[in-house]
Amino acid sequence: MARDEFQRELDALRDDVVRLGDVVSTRLRKAITALDSHDVSVAARIADADSEINERYLDLEQDCIDLFALQQPVAGDLRFVAASFKILTDLERIADLAANLAAYVVAAEDETFPDLGLIDLGTTAVGMLDDALTAYEKGDSTRCRAIADSDDDLDGRCERVAQQVIRHLVERDPDADELEPLLTDVTRVLLTIRDIERIGDHAVNIAARTLYMAENDDALIY
Amino acid sequence: MNNQIGDTDTDTDTNVSTDTSTDSQLGATTGVETSTTTTAGESEEQIRDEWTDYRFDSPAKLSVEDLNVWYGDDHALKDVSMEIPEESVTALIGPSGCGKSTYLRCLNRMNDRIKAARIDGSVELDGMEIYDPNTNLVELRKRIGMVFQSPNPFPKSIRDNISYGPRKHGEINKGLLARLFGRDDSEKEAELVERSLRQAALWDEVNDRLDDNALGLSGGQQQRLCIARCLAVDPEVILMDEPASALDPIATSKIEDLVTDLAEDYTVVIVTHNMQQAARISDQTAVFLTGGELVEYDDTDKIFENPESQRVEDYITGKFG
Repeated sequence: MARDEFQRELDALRDDVVRLGDVVSTRLRKAITALDSHDVSVAARIADADSEINERYLDLEQDCIDLFALQQPVAGDLRFVAASFKILTDLERIADLAANLAAYVVAAEDETFPDLGLIDLGTTAVGMLDDALTAYEKGDSTRCRAIADSDDDLDGRCERVAQQVIRHLVERDPDADELEPLLTDVTRVLLTIRDIERIGDHAVNIAARTLYMAENDDALIY
Repeated sequence: MNNQIGDTDTDTDTNVSTDTSTDSQLGATTGVETSTTTTAGESEEQIRDEWTDYRFDSPAKLSVEDLNVWYGDDHALKDVSMEIPEESVTALIGPSGCGKSTYLRCLNRMNDRIKAARIDGSVELDGMEIYDPNTNLVELRKRIGMVFQSPNPFPKSIRDNISYGPRKHGEINKGLLARLFGRDDSEKEAELVERSLRQAALWDEVNDRLDDNALGLSGGQQQRLCIARCLAVDPEVILMDEPASALDPIATSKIEDLVTDLAEDYTVVIVTHNMQQAARISDQTAVFLTGGELVEYDDTDKIFENPESQRVEDYITGKFG
């Protein structure tokens, strides 16, 4: 096969993106575990370590730019590099959101809403991310479409949980609860739900770019 | 068999047959069986008619149907059918020996000059068959001009290079006889020379030395002079066979800009080995592959972003050839 070095660089890019994705996924999983266990020290470490992901993200983005500039990829190769370039941004954003989730754990003093099922929501989102990474690694378009479907489910669940929180606020006993700390808690929980929901969106973005990469199909891109 | 990535039919969990193997750099061909390849590294596949069935809105300037060319026993071009839209740039790409230059030369009957060549099929210019026995070849080649790989100006002045064609065609009269009969077209010639050189983006560089020998120009300037010479006889179609392959990057980009400008008024068909050049300047691209076959013909962005043929994909991504 011709252009061996170029092929090696493409393979290396795919491996690097998947590896970065695995690191992001691991962090996200730890952040969700910390949310469950209120492990403030683990959460603090995750919240502080985002910069190394950012650096790696910039390195890999540069690799994509180098491939465009030096190898002028076309056809399937072009779609692969272009998709990877976009997917890197989603991975970086998911890492930011994982850091957010960890920061909420650090900020939470006690648990006002123990039965919301936030951990389940978070686990679903991590599962979507892992699926998206597998789809990208294998060029699996069927899996891409399944991820998009499961996001509708996650969005619905997030909305229901958010309504539960609002309902609690509206129906609270004005004499029993102090308003200020409750408002802080509600805000934090709503942000947690929103961030998990966004992680699902980014997983769908990864799937959408993967589908474009594999089949030149932009059906899932917005 | 069809080995296209659009036709996968994989089930969710048992995906992936070829992803990390060498024939699929992306894992993009997931779910299809590993393709077989020829010794040259080409995927085995049947050409589908729809890959070359290019539809466009503007009128067709050239219509080629079932064109076959043999050089002796060598079947150099096989059943090529292709319509070329007017006022656009059509790039012909493919590996050496794929028939693209043969095809180009058929469009103004330059292959007539090769004794061993036998040509069968039809080429119509604006609906007129150019292989009709009554075709006037001088007139045909005036309407369909040609620019070659290495610049080939006449060893004459820059001015004479331009006015040679029109004078031969009787469009310009000059000299003693013309002066005697009051038909001296010197002014008309000057206008024509300036217009042609301007169209070829050469005027500013040579207007103060039109009487210098054209062979004193740089390679890039000589090539633009050849394009200007071609334009001077007011053609409708310009065929270019690797017009920039002997030029440096700056001269190349001048030729490329020129090609883009020319497509506003002319129909340009260009053979190039430089795929990025084809991608940059053409509106549609035809890919010829080994064996003299037209494999795929479509909008240039379609060819370079998502070709239908696996062999075309392999060729343009550099996986064989």
